[in-house]
Amino acid sequence: MATTMGGPRRGPGGPGGSDRGDRGGPGGQQGGKKKFFYRRKRVCKFCVEKIEYIDFKDVKTLQQFIPERGKILPRRISGTCALHQRKLQNAIKRARIAALLPFTAD
Amino acid sequence: MRTYEVLFILSPQVTEEEVTALIADFKGVAEKNGATLKNEEAWGRRRLAYPINKSNEGIYHLFVLESEQSLSELDRRMKNVDRVLRHVIVRTDLDQKRADKLSKRNPKKERVRPAAPVVVAPEDAMTAAIDETPQA
Repeated sequence: MATTMGGPRRGPGGPGGSDRGDRGGPGGQQGGKKKFFYRRKRVCKFCVEKIEYIDFKDVKTLQQFIPERGKILPRRISGTCALHQRKLQNAIKRARIAALLPFTAD
Repeated sequence: MRTYEVLFILSPQVTEEEVTALIADFKGVAEKNGATLKNEEAWGRRRLAYPINKSNEGIYHLFVLESEQSLSELDRRMKNVDRVLRHVIVRTDLDQKRADKLSKRNPKKERVRPAAPVVVAPEDAMTAAIDETPQA
C-alpha cells in the first residue's frame, strides 16, 4: 500500500517534475527523510508580466538583472526563461554600449 | 518600412546652442536619406556608467526614425563628429513585431506538458526489435 500511495503523491507535489527551477537544490528533493529544503518556485519575470519586448533603454528593468559586480545574472539564479534571457542579454549589452549600464563595477 | 532607434551621447563640454545645432544637423542628414522622424526624446545630462573620453557625464538624445533603408549615412556622420561620445543605432521593428505576435498568442495557449507518451515509444521499439531477431 505504501508504495502505491507514494507514487501519486509525488506526482503533483514533487519538486523534481515539471519545473526545472528546483534543480540544483542541495539534496532533499527525493529523500524526504533528509532535510527538506523548501525552494520557492522561480518564474520568469518577463513571462509573468507579459513583457515581450525588452527595451535596452529601460535601465530600471535591466538593473534588476545586474548584481553589484555588473555581470549579467545567470538564468539558474534569476529563473528567467531561455527566450527572455536571450533578449535580456542583448538588451543589457546594448545598454552597456550606451553607457547606461557598466561593463564592470567594483 | 524599418524602425530605428538612434541614441547618441554628446560631450558635456558642448554648449547648448551647439547641442541644438548638432541635433538639427543629424535630423537633416536623416531626412535627406529618406528617413522620417517619428519620435524624439531629450534625456539631457546624465551620468555615464563608465567614463568615456575622460568625461563622466553626457548629453543623451534619442531619435525614433522610420526609413526604407539603413541609416549608414547618419552612422558615418556620427562617427566622424568628435562631439558625439557614443551612438547606438538599433533596428526595432522586427523585434517589436515578434513581441506583438507573442503577446497575442500567450493568453490562449497555456502550456500543458504531455507526461507519458515519451516512455511508451522506446518500449515498442524494443519489443519490435526482439520480435524481429528470432525470425531472422
